[in-house]
Amino acid sequence: MRLHYAPGSPHSAAVRIALAEKGIEAELHKLDLARHEQHSRQYLAVSRHGMVPVIEDDRHTLFESFFILEYLDELQPDPPLGGNDPRQRYLARKWGKYVETHIAPHLAIARWAALQGKVSDGAVPALANLLPARCELWLRAKRGFDHEQLSVSTRALLTAADRLAADLADGEWVAGDRFTLGDIAVYPHLVQFSALGLAVPKAVEQWLGRVAERSSVHAIRADLFPLAVMGPEPGRWG
Amino acid sequence: MLDVYSWEPNANSGKPLFCLHEKGVPFTYHYIDMDAHEHHAPKFLAINPDGTIPAIVHDGFTMTESTPAMEYIDEAFTGPPLRPASPFYRWKMRVLLRYMDNVVAPSLAMIASNSHVAPGFIGHDPAELRKKLDRIPLPERRATWEKLMFQATPPREIEESQRRVSDAIVRFNAILAKHEWLAGDSFSLADIGVFACVYALPLSLENEVNDKATPNLMRWQRACHARPGLQAALAMGQGFITQRAAEVRERLGLAEAGHA
Repeated sequence: MRLHYAPGSPHSAAVRIALAEKGIEAELHKLDLARHEQHSRQYLAVSRHGMVPVIEDDRHTLFESFFILEYLDELQPDPPLGGNDPRQRYLARKWGKYVETHIAPHLAIARWAALQGKVSDGAVPALANLLPARCELWLRAKRGFDHEQLSVSTRALLTAADRLAADLADGEWVAGDRFTLGDIAVYPHLVQFSALGLAVPKAVEQWLGRVAERSSVHAIRADLFPLAVMGPEPGRWG
Repeated sequence: MLDVYSWEPNANSGKPLFCLHEKGVPFTYHYIDMDAHEHHAPKFLAINPDGTIPAIVHDGFTMTESTPAMEYIDEAFTGPPLRPASPFYRWKMRVLLRYMDNVVAPSLAMIASNSHVAPGFIGHDPAELRKKLDRIPLPERRATWEKLMFQATPPREIEESQRRVSDAIVRFNAILAKHEWLAGDSFSLADIGVFACVYALPLSLENEVNDKATPNLMRWQRACHARPGLQAALAMGQGFITQRAAEVRERLGLAEAGHA
């Protein structure tokens, strides 16, 4: 199995954590997002979305990190990370979805603003090779996000932290009494909040501490830094 | 105890109805009249403070995310399995559902609500509309309704949605050239999630969805519309949607369930 990943990509970190939890060895192909390596023709031939992470095995090429996590959990069920019962699995999946719709897109915008992101001139022509919606998102970033968008994104992230705290009231982990794919999916994003000046409730802070203690997370801690790159597209219609 | 609080058998509202009928699971259906904004009224907000439909409550456990709830339904109840057995085809199913949720369904909703819902607000007292907006809990939903109430959706956004829908139709047709169903050789949640949004396209977008342009997608439309479970869910509507589904079946040359 081969993993295409990048330091500074929270989604990549999630897959590396899951691989370590499962004890699955993968050949690593590291990309440098700051140099737009994910937009090279070579990489677009692997993933037409120009996004990391991607895993390749003998026959398949898989993207969408939360579904990679579920795939790994189903491919090798031990130790189980999906949740104990249908309720826990629903909660893990709910967070897997929430990361994509309400956290990652806004975190990318907040990071871009905080780090004063710029698309280097040399990288602009390569954007034309992307799928239309991704190209448009990067061009938006190049123009800069306005104050209104920034306040929408900041509010969405603070709401996400509050919701996480509310779910953590029912147990140590996001889906209850067991560490699951939900924790793995959310953690690499939430861990960046403090560097961006986003305060999190006490329950979230304590949970961040619990997750950081796991050896799978400790091993990739150097990859968790914020980087000015775009994430998933923000929702267009509610 | 299984309670489903939902609107018509359409898009997200329809997903639990289609799944439960396909699995043959009995449930209590609480109709939430979206046209009367009942999903933003205190009675429903007590069940789902976000004011989004559907909400599914199983033995005291409330679910408000329709796609993860579909997997819950498949796991928690007996009946025919609605997910492929292999991890890879499950991955395909989930990626397709995500594509529906994030790309296709919002595009279809933007197009449909701008042509059917937005005109209904013309001439209303703006102060009254603002009061309605204030009752919507989620900021992203409030922004969407504001665009509808004040006809403020940029035309280029609607054009982009049309491009995305056309793109999706071509993609679905291509997948169905290779596989009987959208996530492989068995009917799955991917088919339900897509069907819930596209069941009327052979009528509403007949220039793009027809036997000549998209034969595989039409074969799939016929196979879905002929399923007793999906038909039973479509029959639960209180008007337009159920009528529309019957018109689509007629267009597709299908007999009604029980009259084959």
